[in-house]
Amino acid sequence: MIKKVLVVDDSRAARFGLCAILSKIGQFEIHEAGDGKAGVDKFNEVMPDVTFMDLTMPVMDGIEALAEIKKVHPEAVVIVLSADVQKSTVERVMSRGAMTFLSKPPVKDVVEGILAEVAKKLESA
Amino acid sequence: MGCDPGGFLSELEIDAFQELMNIVFGSAAADLAEVIDMHVVLSVPMLKMTRASELPAFISQNIEDGSARSTLVEQTFLGRFSGVALIVFPHDDENKFITLFRENEAMYADFGSPMDLEKEILLEVGNILIGACVSKLAAMLKESVIYEPPAIAFKDTIKTGFYNRLLKPDNCAIVLRTSFRFEADDISCYFFLVTSESSLIWLKKAINDYLNQF
Repeated sequence: MIKKVLVVDDSRAARFGLCAILSKIGQFEIHEAGDGKAGVDKFNEVMPDVTFMDLTMPVMDGIEALAEIKKVHPEAVVIVLSADVQKSTVERVMSRGAMTFLSKPPVKDVVEGILAEVAKKLESA
Repeated sequence: MGCDPGGFLSELEIDAFQELMNIVFGSAAADLAEVIDMHVVLSVPMLKMTRASELPAFISQNIEDGSARSTLVEQTFLGRFSGVALIVFPHDDENKFITLFRENEAMYADFGSPMDLEKEILLEVGNILIGACVSKLAAMLKESVIYEPPAIAFKDTIKTGFYNRLLKPDNCAIVLRTSFRFEADDISCYFFLVTSESSLIWLKKAINDYLNQF
């Protein structure tokens, strides 16, 4: 069961949109961070079941934050949600251990489907 | 109304507009990466509201080597959402761009003089980026735009002429800036989107409609 979700994005509007979708899908404890470094710190603090990670961010970008998280927590479930939809970008994030890549803007049905997949994975673990 | 984005758009609306542009730039980068088979690095979009008369100075200050020898492709778009989109190729990088796209020489076989070929290549890059960015933004805001033909200013300073069609010098405009850096060759170009004052009320509503979909 997914209890804690971390949303890492420098855009307040992007966090607003995803958090609104998450609130419609279920009752999660939602945490937010505004850049990659704050995202890594928040991850270590709350240990979320799922993390949604943007890529183009100040201070520390999402690829570096993803690598930092996976280095210490290889089991972490990180879903990259980005506007950078180049094939090379998708390959980069997948090779660094992202569970999947979603393009922005987020769509409720897609997010719901991914979370159902994550929930199944967590139950079987 | 003063030229202060905070006086016209709320913090969340400004952020939403930047986020929309982030999505738009990502899509444009993917289109361009397909054409040249190279990874494109995006920057975080920057937004500023300014008087039209201050646009040339703003653009000059926000490209790496200043405006003195840059090449500029500009295209006006019209509709409820109207403005001017500009791609600025800094001097030096502009020649690298031409070399990069010239690798597809067959595409440009019909162009006689080197000057015509260079112009065509830069217009083509500009056209891909401007079309991808403006059309995608308009679509996300559930609007369509009509384009005027693009124009190119070669190795020229950024003059005031580009905005005269839509803006008077004392008009306010929202200008968004980002850069596209082509990783393997370490070359960049800059994209500026200038939204006309007459579109601002429509834009505010369109941004709120976008936010309300969540």
